[in-house]
Amino acid sequence: MALKELVETVARALVDEPDQVEVRQIEGEHHSLVELKVAKGDIGKVIGKDGKTAQSMRMLVAAASQKMGRRTHLDIID
Amino acid sequence: MTNGNATPTFADAPEELPDAQAQNLEENQRSEGPSRRGHSRRQRQQQPQDEQPFYEGDERAQEALQFVSTVLQQMGMECRARLCRPREEEEQGQLPEIVVEVYGRDSGRIIGKRGQVLAALQFLTHRAVNRPTIDRRHVVVDAEGYRLRRESTLATMAQRLGQQAVDEGKIITFEPMNPRDRRVVHLALAKFEGVITKSEGEGDERRVQIIPVRR
Repeated sequence: MALKELVETVARALVDEPDQVEVRQIEGEHHSLVELKVAKGDIGKVIGKDGKTAQSMRMLVAAASQKMGRRTHLDIID
Repeated sequence: MTNGNATPTFADAPEELPDAQAQNLEENQRSEGPSRRGHSRRQRQQQPQDEQPFYEGDERAQEALQFVSTVLQQMGMECRARLCRPREEEEQGQLPEIVVEVYGRDSGRIIGKRGQVLAALQFLTHRAVNRPTIDRRHVVVDAEGYRLRRESTLATMAQRLGQQAVDEGKIITFEPMNPRDRRVVHLALAKFEGVITKSEGEGDERRVQIIPVRR
């Protein structure tokens, strides 16, 4: 599944500490869960003003999942 | 800046194909749909293999292209990205905008409902390219000319409303729009005699106003 890599790519491009980006993907039958963890100081960068960055990442994840006929939930863990 | 035909990428490849194949390819691209209508015949003849010339851009533009290409691939989308020549004349002292164009069969998915996916991709690309410490660059991510078509419709409407503002001597206020669309309106009316434009309101409620002025 490439969604894990997708979230990694995007998150690493946004944060100050790319090495601290951790992404986990959990597969269900029709649904997937992607968990994104970043350095404490970078949480704001992946969420963004009014959650706009997180929302944009979810939009890409949703479009990619749709093509695969799945649904994916993206969680940002602090 | 680099000339389109100096770029040694796969834009050049079709020239090496046997004639029959090359012609086939040309036809395929013609039948691609109404999205490319805006291009002149001259351009079409010069660049039969690709109606929009390739553009190399600078290092940060390459960085943006790299980001978009990687994202597309990891999304499992059957499409590719390339850089295009900036669409607008930049004001003096400003860095040229970065224009990334997505093309291929999954472009529709990349545009998404009312351009939402495209907007998200542009927003994230902007974020990736514009780090806090360096000069800000405008970033445009388009797919099959979607944004270009929308923007030209919006610019035409702005000019029509600009004329209306002059004729009626009244202030015309737009619906709330995103920064990019507001910018299109401002630019469309920048050289329009008899009006000035201003943005009023905060956040999602920010609207462009067209204000008539006496000369």
